[in-house]
Amino acid sequence: MDLFGSFALLLAFVCAVYAIGVGIAAILSRRPLLNKSARQAGMAVCVLITLAMGSLVYLFLTDNFSLAYVVGHSNRDLPTFYKFAALWSGQEGSLLFWSWLLSIYVFSVLYSYRAKHPELMPYVGVVLASVQLFFLILNVFIASPFKVLGALGPGGAMQVITQADGKGLTPLLQYPEMVIHPPMLYSGYTGFTIPFAFALAALLGRYPGEKWIHVTRKWTMIAWCFQSAGILLGAHWAYAVLGWGGYWAWDPVENASLMPWLTGTAFLHSVMMQEKRGMLRVWNVWLVFSTFLLCILGTFLTRSGVVSSVHAFAQSNIGPWFVGFLGLIVAVCILAFLKNRDYLRSDNQLDSMVSRESSFLFNNLILLVACVAVLSGTLFPVLSEWVQGTKISVGAPFFNKVNIPIGLFLLFLTGVGPLLAWRKTSAESLRRNFGWSLLGGLAAGAIAYPLGFRDFYALVCLILSVFVTLTIAAEFFRGARVIRARAGLNFFSAVGHLTMRNTRRYGGYVVHFGMVLIFIGLAGTAFNQDKQMEMAPGSKMEIGAYTLVCQTFTSRPEQNYTAERATIEALRNGQQVMMLYPERRFYPANEQSGTMVAIYSTLKEDLYVVYAGRSPETQQPVIHVYLNPLVKWIWLGGAIVVLGTILALLPNRQAVLVMRAATQPVSAAPAPQPVSATLRSYEGHD
Amino acid sequence: MKGTTKLLPLALVVVLALALSHLAWLPAYAQQTERAKNIGKRLLCMCNCNQILTACNHVGCSTSAAMLKKLDQVVARNEPEDLTVQSFIQEWGERVLAEPPAKGFNRLAWFIPGGAFALGLVLVIVVIAHWRRRMTLAPAGPSVSPDALSRARLQADQETEE
Repeated sequence: MDLFGSFALLLAFVCAVYAIGVGIAAILSRRPLLNKSARQAGMAVCVLITLAMGSLVYLFLTDNFSLAYVVGHSNRDLPTFYKFAALWSGQEGSLLFWSWLLSIYVFSVLYSYRAKHPELMPYVGVVLASVQLFFLILNVFIASPFKVLGALGPGGAMQVITQADGKGLTPLLQYPEMVIHPPMLYSGYTGFTIPFAFALAALLGRYPGEKWIHVTRKWTMIAWCFQSAGILLGAHWAYAVLGWGGYWAWDPVENASLMPWLTGTAFLHSVMMQEKRGMLRVWNVWLVFSTFLLCILGTFLTRSGVVSSVHAFAQSNIGPWFVGFLGLIVAVCILAFLKNRDYLRSDNQLDSMVSRESSFLFNNLILLVACVAVLSGTLFPVLSEWVQGTKISVGAPFFNKVNIPIGLFLLFLTGVGPLLAWRKTSAESLRRNFGWSLLGGLAAGAIAYPLGFRDFYALVCLILSVFVTLTIAAEFFRGARVIRARAGLNFFSAVGHLTMRNTRRYGGYVVHFGMVLIFIGLAGTAFNQDKQMEMAPGSKMEIGAYTLVCQTFTSRPEQNYTAERATIEALRNGQQVMMLYPERRFYPANEQSGTMVAIYSTLKEDLYVVYAGRSPETQQPVIHVYLNPLVKWIWLGGAIVVLGTILALLPNRQAVLVMRAATQPVSAAPAPQPVSATLRSYEGHD
Repeated sequence: MKGTTKLLPLALVVVLALALSHLAWLPAYAQQTERAKNIGKRLLCMCNCNQILTACNHVGCSTSAAMLKKLDQVVARNEPEDLTVQSFIQEWGERVLAEPPAKGFNRLAWFIPGGAFALGLVLVIVVIAHWRRRMTLAPAGPSVSPDALSRARLQADQETEE
């Protein structure tokens, strides 16, 4: 089966080379048959990588310990569930997984657009196949997951060695979220290849019109949605598994995932200026290029060992390959831009400083400054070592100091931007749209301050959160009021109708609301507290309004590990709220330990209990307790962000009705109702 | 229903303000522990995890255990905070600091985000001013009545609708 997997990968490599060669020939000769052949080769890559993935899954499930990768990341006692997660737990498997996800995207694009954009798609196919080829080179020649263990036998012949058992999966990865977090994040990273391919193809092929930007925006939203979900799942995994009481440590690997998310977010906003006004063509193309480049840069940082990180892959020899690939992409992008920059010329004009257009410019400025701050902080240790010979650390305090003000300004723009009109916003409109919301925000601050809400940033965050929430609520309210008056619906049905009439606009508001909840959750960090003590059975610890009583601590063997577990009763005002079971696990296969945090989570706060081990002097369990306010709002906000993005991807209801009416018999088709001028004027903004 | 919807913004303000204001009543730590924690937040664990010393919770991380022990001992001597931090720098070098010291070449780390913001802001303002000038220079059409202008705005709204 390992030979089968290797062969499938080799064949995929050949198909990718063929897709590039024949694709270029199709572009030059304009022969549809060549184009079709290149497309089918591109789609075959997906089938072949799927076969390779299938064979690796089979090798894991059948405990084939003659394969170095299986030995390094699995063992017989590992639950089947985690044998899947073991696929992407190491360098080689995760690169194959990356190729596989990319190939699924490529297949979807080539298949969906097989009869569309005949001038553009050959270029798209060549760009996509080129990116695939790079990863296939790594899969086949540099970091193959199908390497078998061997030794020279008598007569100099190579003999395959089969180990009795494997080294097991890293304990930190033996957590349910690790089965979905990497696929989500990788789907985000790989998904940004599609907008890149369309942007570069449109530039290379000088594709007329703005159609390609609509396609690019849709695929960016899909990738952005996966990236958002992946980042949040990763944060939740860090919170629930690493046991340090937090969810975001500004680790280089975390930063690597945040940077393309920031530029992708900037693009999703500025693309509207190109769609509506034909502006910012050059800027948008470079935002798409930068997002893809940051994906590759992030992968390079994670996998090359250039920066220190708790969850980076070990130092390996693939770093130079990524540097070469990055250099090649930068060169291609610059050359394509220089050659065809006149194609991107746009007639940028602005009526007023106070307009939707200028708010997008500021939004892009803030997002890019955040990205520069994260990138410079992540790379500064490398730079300082290079210049001074001494490595300087850049940890969470630096990133927090720099990024909190940036984030708050962004939150402010989240409230202001969507309500400014295109071209020009009058003073009357400003007063009408923002007056009550601003007063509401200030009122919330005035209520909270005397109650002791004194942390400056947390207070500003509260005021802005209320302000943005009210602006969003007001938008829904105004639109729904018109629909309610016209159609006689109740308010909530009217909100539903309104949303489905313009999913992109109202889905965007839902995403903004989710971001507000995330910001509220982040503001809670200012009020975190923690306590650590030895807890013999019967002893008590007080934290906040909670009293923790240690009931017992036990040791028990499980399928894949041995667990030391404390039983902690959590009381609030003398009443039991929950029994908590924090654990420390020891995995004999790789002789590593891991924690399993116990969390009592409410909307108000998380009671987060860690079994920190036994005291060396007394052998009593040491319990570390954190009281983290508002953490649940982050996960709730994240879910709303994802739902809002999905909503924004749905087609508008009106458009669906029109399409149905056209395909149904005239008598059966409902006559489209006229939409009042008032309603249209509300829906005009986006 | 009309009354309910009118009260919606007020209800949102009250709910959000109350949800967050409970945070004010959280108690403080004992002074000594707080001091050690504050100093610990200025330092990184030297096990290469890139985490704050007091947040490093790797199972079996001997580096953070030894560093925390040292921190407790130094804090117990009640020395000034900077002197405590200095003793860690002597042992592990400046890379033990959680953020770059604002001196010499390391100032660059602090300058880059602010510099990028200032540069970007100037660029945005220049771009906006340039685009507005273009708008002013564009040949003006025949004068239009307010009615025609509002009809045109409505039409523009409809055309830019999704």
